[in-house]
Amino acid sequence: MGRKKLASHIILAIILTIISLSMVLPIVYSIVTSFKFETEIIGSTPSFFPRKATLVNYKYVLERRTTYLRYYYNSISTTFFSVIINTLLSTMMGYAFARLPFRGRDLMLGFILFIIAFPLAVLLIPIYIMEYELGLINTRLGLILPYVTTILPFSVFIMRGIFRSIPIELEQSAEIDGANVFQTWWKIMLPIGINGLSITIIYGFYNIWGEYILSKTLATASHAMPLSVGLILLRGEGWSYGILGAVIFLAILPPVIIFIIFQKQLVEGLTRGALKG
Amino acid sequence: MKTSLSYRQSKARMGLLFTLPGLCFVTVYMIYPLITSFYYSFSDYNFVYSLRPKLNGIKNYIAAFKDPIFLLSMKNTFVFATFYFLIVMIFGLIVALLLFYYKGNSYLFKTMIFMPIVVPLSLASILFNWIFSENFGLLNYIIGSVFHLPQLTFGWLTHRSTAMVAIISVTIWSSVGFIAILFLAGLQSISTEILEAALIDGASTRRTIFSIILPNLHETYIIAGIWAILRGMKIYAPPMVMTGGAPGNATRVMYMHIYDNAFEYFEMGYASALGFILSIIVLFFSYLNMRLSTEKEG
Repeated sequence: MGRKKLASHIILAIILTIISLSMVLPIVYSIVTSFKFETEIIGSTPSFFPRKATLVNYKYVLERRTTYLRYYYNSISTTFFSVIINTLLSTMMGYAFARLPFRGRDLMLGFILFIIAFPLAVLLIPIYIMEYELGLINTRLGLILPYVTTILPFSVFIMRGIFRSIPIELEQSAEIDGANVFQTWWKIMLPIGINGLSITIIYGFYNIWGEYILSKTLATASHAMPLSVGLILLRGEGWSYGILGAVIFLAILPPVIIFIIFQKQLVEGLTRGALKG
Repeated sequence: MKTSLSYRQSKARMGLLFTLPGLCFVTVYMIYPLITSFYYSFSDYNFVYSLRPKLNGIKNYIAAFKDPIFLLSMKNTFVFATFYFLIVMIFGLIVALLLFYYKGNSYLFKTMIFMPIVVPLSLASILFNWIFSENFGLLNYIIGSVFHLPQLTFGWLTHRSTAMVAIISVTIWSSVGFIAILFLAGLQSISTEILEAALIDGASTRRTIFSIILPNLHETYIIAGIWAILRGMKIYAPPMVMTGGAPGNATRVMYMHIYDNAFEYFEMGYASALGFILSIIVLFFSYLNMRLSTEKEG
């Protein structure tokens, strides 16, 4: 029995290792390639790891102020502000949906659920026309506002689940102590729900950092484009694979860092939030 | 107790107040566009030539079903979504089961399997575009140089069937970790008593999986299933980045056709109608999945 168990343990470990390695292989491949000279990448005897490492590709990318660096800056600033606004709105709305009953609340919740089932394609056209008429095309605000709206509904559901899981007695004792609704929310509920808050932040960050279709539609000029759109525009300009590797590495660096920091909350919290939602 | 009427009223007032800012966003960027788009879908409205939308009944909808490229894009979307849904659900479930039964420390495995979801899909598509590229791609490198089978190297993205395979694989790569985590959460919520009882009764692992674990995952099937269907039907970035719909229109999907009609030809009315056709399909599948999964329960 013991030997059989050990054998199945080893087999499981081997299969999981193969799957895990093949999942990260594309990322690793782009990183190692970013340190290669172009001659080596297209040479007649390709190798996986660079024979002679170089930073020439990174130097190229970081010198392009009007393209790569500009896209990077746009992505960081729009993502930052969208996430802040979304966090604020969703913690308020989530709390209201969890603990502050008012007339029409459930109807509103159901309606939002229904509306997020619609594909963005159908909303995109009026949004474009509206922003065109308001002069918001190719502005940061014109990206931030719809970004927030795309991540808000699910963030509200995450926060609603978190607030509902906090024992109601805590709230009642705050009420007896004479705290008003705002104080209860700010001083009692938010600090306890901090775990959920981090999930909302991470969820918002990932979805906006990689957002493609809204960005492509609403940022048509190069100076306004975030990374996800700008990089694809540059693809056609005969760039080398080494530069491509460097660009991809730089572009996925922020999400990967955040992922490593928040890995535990993300994997556990996302599933919990999604299951309860 | 001070839970008086006035307190309850103040709760209701604060509830509305707390909802209001978010509701403004939803109204301006979701409800208003949805209604407007619905109106456009029954109008003749070219953004460049028309001054304003002019109602034309169901003409756009009729035109859609006579548009051979739209019908082809619909077929491609179904092919894509079907394969994507089946593979990502089965593969995600298998990975979750492996992680569930693995008794060692699975932290590193989980991290690596989940990692691709942080790579934006549009960038992942560029990455895979390169992996599948004919001359200097990783795939052909592995086939040709590692396995020494240069006769099997191939122009993956320039042939009809394999271009679709490439698009399916990048989408699966980027999302199977998420599905696996959802299934893992479902597996962990199955009560240990049932599993222990099965163990004591001497049920084999295979029997335990098929007669206890799989039927107990219905909640996860709904959540993961809806997520996968919606993602499959709304696919856009991978074909756009990797093939642009080529070769021919072999990888043109509905979303791409809607986008091109709206923002290449500026036919906002027609594109809105196409958008609503896609919406109806998406809503139908979400509903179907929900029904099927809840029926299994009873």
